[in-house]
Amino acid sequence: MAKMATLLRKNLVLILTLAVMLALFAAAASGMSQQDFVITLLRGLAVGALTFLVASGFSLIFGLLDVLNLAHGTLFMIGAYIGWTVYVRPDTFVDVLTPLALIVSGFTLRDVWAILARRVPPSGAWGRTAPWLAIAPGALIGFGVMRGYPIASWSLENYAESPVTFSFLAGQGQRVIPAHATFGDASPLVAFGGLILASMLVAFGMTLLGRSETHAQSRVTWRSVAPFAGLVIGGMVVFAVNEPLTAWLFALDTNWLFLIAVLVAVLSGMGLGALMEITLIRPLYVRPIYQLMLTLGLSAIGIEMVRAIWGRPEFTMPKPALFAGSGEGCPAESLWLALQNGCSTMIFQGGRIRVYNEIFVPLVGLVVLIAVWLLLKRTRLGMIIRAGVQDREMVEALGINVRRVFTLVFALGVGLAALGGVLAAPSIGLSNTMGESFLLNALIALAIGGLTSYPGAAIGSLLVGMLQQFIIKYGQIGIAIPFTEIVFKPSPPLVPASTILLMVIILLILPNGLLGRKE
Amino acid sequence: MTPILELRDIHTFIGQYHILQGVSFTAPHGAITALLGRNGAGKTTTLKTIMGLTPPRAGEIRFEGRRIDGKRPFEIAALGIGFVPEHRAIFRDLTVEENLKIAERKKGDYARKQEMIFSLFPDLKRLIHLRGTNLSGGQQQMLAIARALVADNRLLLIDEPSEGLAPVVIEGLMSAIRQLAADSTVILVEQNFLVASQLAEHYVIIEEGRSVKSGRMQDLVNDRAAIHRYLGAA
Repeated sequence: MAKMATLLRKNLVLILTLAVMLALFAAAASGMSQQDFVITLLRGLAVGALTFLVASGFSLIFGLLDVLNLAHGTLFMIGAYIGWTVYVRPDTFVDVLTPLALIVSGFTLRDVWAILARRVPPSGAWGRTAPWLAIAPGALIGFGVMRGYPIASWSLENYAESPVTFSFLAGQGQRVIPAHATFGDASPLVAFGGLILASMLVAFGMTLLGRSETHAQSRVTWRSVAPFAGLVIGGMVVFAVNEPLTAWLFALDTNWLFLIAVLVAVLSGMGLGALMEITLIRPLYVRPIYQLMLTLGLSAIGIEMVRAIWGRPEFTMPKPALFAGSGEGCPAESLWLALQNGCSTMIFQGGRIRVYNEIFVPLVGLVVLIAVWLLLKRTRLGMIIRAGVQDREMVEALGINVRRVFTLVFALGVGLAALGGVLAAPSIGLSNTMGESFLLNALIALAIGGLTSYPGAAIGSLLVGMLQQFIIKYGQIGIAIPFTEIVFKPSPPLVPASTILLMVIILLILPNGLLGRKE
Repeated sequence: MTPILELRDIHTFIGQYHILQGVSFTAPHGAITALLGRNGAGKTTTLKTIMGLTPPRAGEIRFEGRRIDGKRPFEIAALGIGFVPEHRAIFRDLTVEENLKIAERKKGDYARKQEMIFSLFPDLKRLIHLRGTNLSGGQQQMLAIARALVADNRLLLIDEPSEGLAPVVIEGLMSAIRQLAADSTVILVEQNFLVASQLAEHYVIIEEGRSVKSGRMQDLVNDRAAIHRYLGAA
């Protein structure tokens, strides 16, 4: 009992704040019909879930690495575009796999490069130019080969072959299989050899550049060449089965294809995150301001790259069959029937709700919430992350390679953002700027919930999502101000403003956010 | 016999500040060596330099005859060096058990060492599921030392274990440190000369970033002039 009392006293402000918010919420809800209320609640959950996927990754990275990753929104968007590509144009996805594997292959031979690097004198004119003598021709060869490499793709100029059209046709259930890209008369072996060579040269040059940091093993073992062999062989196998694999993916049930798209988006996000941490973020841990500017710059670069590849116009990603139907028995009377008939909508409490947006997305959010929570609480990695948030030096002094944990956490955080992006694509569509509003929402959610608190990220995201959706709803039906005749209809600009207002109020009362730690 | 740890003319910078300006000493096997000196002399930096947390810019550090300067902290730790930092830097958000488990370097370290640790610090067994932040100062210090015992460490670096603790608690800690020294070598930074003189067999005095005097603790205890000169204590 005494324990309860102290707990109550310690968190009095928090409890009062929550109580006031609950009261306000109840007051707001009482002015709505039950139907409106339920639908708005579910929409709030959906936005909250997507915001949470961005916010949780952002907060994991910030908590452990002290990096404010302003490119997080862009990575969210990239996740969506990668997922779209796998889902709508699996042929492009399959075509890209082989060159990608070959380009990565050279970098896995780290141990070999480290041993070779010892033969190059580290200082003097030769030592300074040697890295670039490897990197420059490597990059040139790589670009040269990729220019001519056949990848089936869309066209940004020709509307009939633009992503917009492909998306539309796929949504209609017409899977037009585009023409297959081939090497023609040229031998693919030259291209493969060129890519492997390019990758090796660049990897060797980069090893020379970062030499002072590497403590490589002195011997080359089977273990150190196995990933290389795996990637090269894997790349060749994919190339060999390119056509049947493409045909199989095109014929695949869209539910499975969607699952594959989500997995690929998450894995690519993780790979991109790891790459970003190792090459760009890592050298700048001693200069946090530069790091911040770097992530801001990367976010702009990411947006421009997506524009260059997928074009400017917005397009949608068709929903998988399970959530796309509108035929007989739709909208369904219950969730079970909706899933059985593959309905896109269902009737719930007298209102129509979209199964994908308002049920599936929040559900995935919940699953991720629990999964990451278990990861943090039950695994050794989670233990190291929680300890590292407080004292990185001490974790390292216990014999744990914190740098590797950093890379892993960065990859995980970006993977979560990419998951958010690919899940958001079928409901809100793809646009070059879709990440920015979510990043802003996520930042507000984190400020509300407490910057490095994981449950705080969840609560903050939920609050932000709910508030926005309720303001939108009240923009349509209006709030009757008590004791007056006035009916107030919040205008659309009030939607983002309201969340910022909430943040300001909460930070005035609780400077560390709802669940943030007192410093 | 080679000494377990040897520092030769170590220079360490923190930012632009030249903190260690020539620290040299050897720590013999199986004994407690105390680093003594006034506040800000560089004792803590010496421990952090050995650990690789503030890497030296010049000089040599050898552990069991092998060069360890220039290695990263986790590699140095993995060779068998345990670190107990000042201010009882345990992980406050982790439970006592997690604080111990995180120090495992091989799977099962914690299970094997459990008995030894709890016989040394019986209090911890009772507190095993409490979070670090809920422990008293003395309990936190015990946990910090216990954490360094989980992995197989042959050398322990202990920074100011008695700082801010009540005399009764210090008494208990001293007997624990004495028991650990039976199995491994200890380097101890200690402000409290009384505590240091009772625990350590050897001493090194650090003054303004330089090692100025070292030898057997017994001789120092009888050398009133030196104590007064270097440590300012009676």
